[in-house]
Amino acid sequence: MRKVVALAGNPNVGKSVIFNALTGAKQKVGNWPGVTVEKKEGICKYKGIEFHIVDLPGIYGFTASSIDEKIARDFILQKPDVVVDIVDASNIERNLYLTMQLVEMEANIVVALNKMDLAKAKGYKINIRKLSKELGLPVIPMVAVKNEGIDDLKEAMYHVTKHGARTFLRYNDGVEEMISAVQERVIEHNLLPNYPPRFVAIKLLEGDEEILKMANFSEEVVKQWIS
Amino acid sequence: MKLSDLKPNQKGIVTEVVGNSEIKRRLLNMGVVRGVEIRMVRNAPLRDPIEFEVRGYLLSLRRDEAENVIVEVRG
Amino acid sequence: MDFIDAIANARYELIGEILGKSMERTSKPKSFSDLVDIVVLDKYLGIPIFLTLMWAVFQFAFSVSVPFSDVIDMFFSFAADWAKSSISNEILASLIGDGIFGGLGFVLVFLPPIAFVFIALGILEDTGYLPRAAFVMDKAMTKVGLHGKSFIPMLLGFGCNVPAIMATRTIENDVDRKISIMVNPLMSCSARLPVYVLFAGVFFTGYEGAVIVSMYLLGIILAALMATIIRKIFFGGKPSPLLMEMPEFSVPSAKSVLNGAWIRTQIFLRKAATILFIGAVVIWLLSNFPWEATGGGEVLENSYAASIGHAVEPVIKPLGLNWKAGVALFSGFMAKEIVVGTFGILYGVNEEEIGTAILHDFNPVSALAMMAITLIYLPCLATMGVLKRELGEWKWVELVIVYELLLAYLVAAMIVGIGRLVI
Repeated sequence: MRKVVALAGNPNVGKSVIFNALTGAKQKVGNWPGVTVEKKEGICKYKGIEFHIVDLPGIYGFTASSIDEKIARDFILQKPDVVVDIVDASNIERNLYLTMQLVEMEANIVVALNKMDLAKAKGYKINIRKLSKELGLPVIPMVAVKNEGIDDLKEAMYHVTKHGARTFLRYNDGVEEMISAVQERVIEHNLLPNYPPRFVAIKLLEGDEEILKMANFSEEVVKQWIS
Repeated sequence: MKLSDLKPNQKGIVTEVVGNSEIKRRLLNMGVVRGVEIRMVRNAPLRDPIEFEVRGYLLSLRRDEAENVIVEVRG
Repeated sequence: MDFIDAIANARYELIGEILGKSMERTSKPKSFSDLVDIVVLDKYLGIPIFLTLMWAVFQFAFSVSVPFSDVIDMFFSFAADWAKSSISNEILASLIGDGIFGGLGFVLVFLPPIAFVFIALGILEDTGYLPRAAFVMDKAMTKVGLHGKSFIPMLLGFGCNVPAIMATRTIENDVDRKISIMVNPLMSCSARLPVYVLFAGVFFTGYEGAVIVSMYLLGIILAALMATIIRKIFFGGKPSPLLMEMPEFSVPSAKSVLNGAWIRTQIFLRKAATILFIGAVVIWLLSNFPWEATGGGEVLENSYAASIGHAVEPVIKPLGLNWKAGVALFSGFMAKEIVVGTFGILYGVNEEEIGTAILHDFNPVSALAMMAITLIYLPCLATMGVLKRELGEWKWVELVIVYELLLAYLVAAMIVGIGRLVI
């Protein structure tokens, strides 16, 4: 059985190391179509499943205006079976910003909490169980350069392909009101039905050029919906 | 004052992020949002870019990028 | 505040809550990384340290790799000679000897510098030094339409443009990368130097050094110019933001560096090398045929390559260049190292006498024009191979070819024009 796994995360989180650890020698390197951005793919076989691992470019967000971010976003919106969100534990605050956006995209997420050793050296003490509970997602502590946590990651990937890992994270009331208002319209007009309505609503509110164009509404119209 | 006006080791709290939407979005993605504490670390040898510490990591901004961030200096 | 601010705030607010419940922070002392930065990014030490490291990278890539290239070169020369002496059929012997073994050797000689460049880059990347290099150089690079991270690939171009262009992989932004790739060929690679030495030595005796250095400077100025122009015309003229994170310094793992270098070297072998090899065989064909007329490649004047030289002559005659220069430039398309040797074959003299021979057909002005054209006119076949590989679409490669040909002609014409006024 074949499952697609996307590796996502900020730059410098150790994505390459984890990619190499998962795929070993079975790698293929090319470019994403039409751009000079490198695309790495590989195979990881585990418990009868052939995981097709795709390494996404390291990104800080998912806006359409940056080529790297657009590539990652388009790939995740195609609903891969698992998204491994690689988080640098020594930089956890900023790294989780991407996690928040992945949750908005309603992906099936495994959080690979890498560089635990660096976090410890920086004086961070992270309670994995509590973090996992607050996020509503599996969290796998790792030190990829020392090969620690790789097997746990594979097990988590396996588990998620069987049972999924979606969570819902609620922001403050003010923001949620605006999102709800737009989300109703999104559902009502059946806008971009292939994408999660919450994601579409948030992107419309953010003024995302691509989503606005695809939905065929202008920013002014969207602003009216929330007033 | 503007973020670009901070002196080495001076800390500020961000009060506003202005600028065109692309720079602004990137700054927000990098954690430079209203209310966050940011510290000026050093200038590059050619005086531009500038290195800051924010949310526990090091961020380099060009002077004209840093001018988009308004800060209030911490006592 | 507008929604973009509101949602960014909301996300970080939630992150704060989550971490508040699951993480504790104790105060940290200055890390190893912070201490290194104090030295490496120092106001006064930063640039000298950077330049020293760059010199080291350059030496490692282009001096240390030379013995390895020499071994490969020797091996394939032996193979070529063996083929030519063992195979009875003349044409087949030349095809296998010069064409195939020659072509293979020609391609594989690039492997050592490429591999060494990737090893050096891997070390710089894995230690975390690259963003620091970009931090130091960004101001200077943005002034010329490039990016802080473009410095190293540009520098490597002075050795060889092939690994230099592949080194642009370290530039994350697609637009910055494309522009850095497209102007890299203007960095005068080491293969062009013999041409400068020959012409400067014959026509500017006593001033060779100044003339040669000015060729290098010309390349740099033109690269800056073309970077600005290309950015303006094709990419909206906006410089892409820096907004760069400095990761912690760390000790690189040898395994990771070597593995990364090996994967990237393989990329070169698989894609660029094929184009190169085919091109080498085609040029073998053009230089050795018609077989009878050229006496098996001996008399270059009667080859198809020479016909190309003659065909090009009307275009380059206004610059003071004749068909022989045309053939030499055509051979330079294969590899710039061959240009001087081609002159030798065409004049029927050996290396020491080429200088006297060219006195017949050139003068100081046309010599300068020839040097400028060699600097600018076309990337060599190997460079074309990596250009295609790294730029992805043919349209960008075509842009490079077109702008270089036009720029070469323009600059040469200006040299001739100024020459006429001065003399």
